[in-house]
Amino acid sequence: MEFNRVVGTRRSIRFFKSWKPVEREKIQVMLEAANRASRSMNADYPRALVVNRDDLDKKTLDALRNPTTTADLDLAPTYIFWYFDMNYPQGTPERLKELVEKHVLTPSHGWSKAYVDDFLWPQILKPLSQIPEAVNFMGGTETGIAICNALNAAVDQGLGTCLHAFTAPAVIKELFNVPDSWYPVWIQLVGYPAEEPEAGGQRPRKPLSELFFEGNCDTPWKEDPKVTEYLKKEGMIQEPGPFPYRAQEVRMLSRMFGLPE
Amino acid sequence: MYDNILEFPSVKKWFESANHDSDTQDEQKRLLDMIANFCESLDQTPDELIESCLRTTKDGDTAISAKGRKNVQQAIDDWVTSQGLSGHQAIVTANTLRSFLIHNGVFIQGPASIQ
Repeated sequence: MEFNRVVGTRRSIRFFKSWKPVEREKIQVMLEAANRASRSMNADYPRALVVNRDDLDKKTLDALRNPTTTADLDLAPTYIFWYFDMNYPQGTPERLKELVEKHVLTPSHGWSKAYVDDFLWPQILKPLSQIPEAVNFMGGTETGIAICNALNAAVDQGLGTCLHAFTAPAVIKELFNVPDSWYPVWIQLVGYPAEEPEAGGQRPRKPLSELFFEGNCDTPWKEDPKVTEYLKKEGMIQEPGPFPYRAQEVRMLSRMFGLPE
Repeated sequence: MYDNILEFPSVKKWFESANHDSDTQDEQKRLLDMIANFCESLDQTPDELIESCLRTTKDGDTAISAKGRKNVQQAIDDWVTSQGLSGHQAIVTANTLRSFLIHNGVFIQGPASIQ
């Protein structure tokens, strides 16, 4: 699928073909996409724990369930528990100097090994790494970027996916031996969509002019209608929901799975 | 048993929100009997059942009570078992009761029937 169409087709899919497992190779593609995401300080922020529902015994699956996360876990054949590792600042000077050596961070932009050793690390990054709010902000932000790549990689491979609130982190930690330094971010549900991949149509979004600005924050971004038309043709902008049959689609899926209507 | 359980605001809200108003008379009776029997087993009215899932915060706002919801979740499972139901039918029945909670603003999930 072309990039623009992947972005435009991504939806939160909540009805999965519970009977159809996700191929391991497709999960690997998602993980590699996450690993290739933009990341500051070239730090290894994200951690992911991949769990297949059908590999879990009943006791473990029951332990994962709670009143807000039960149907989701039944329907999705694969869960990815996303975390960031709070130890990500470790090794930062070495990683940055490696990038200097590889001509990624270059003198043209002010970078040198001396700057990393004498100023950046001791005076800025190390003190920042000792402020919990800063660690959490960076960890959440950078891991979110990685997860976004994984979401789009799933869509590109014909999978459905959805991010779910990270409920019961203590239970998950104990069940799967999650290290103490891992901070929970999202649970990503993965499977083949049981609903139409368009899931009733594209979600509402405000026009660019309400969100983005040009030159100063008093000047809204003015859309070029030609670009908008191009993006419609390319599939980034798609037909908005709800499709006429959406309510019936949800009703039928709910009945198939015995879910509340 | 209630003369007209639809007089309870929570039941009326459920029927309107879930479009049960347009169901057949038989289906409406089945649903109303179900919620009535469940509530009777708890010795609560339908409105009291909803209230048991809510709490008042320090700021005076209404919030979902995790404890109350957990208790009702268990009560639903127990009631369905007491009706001699199992498998798909048990799941559907329990989720019908959850639908009553959901349409009254109580976020709750039960199992899906995937076997």
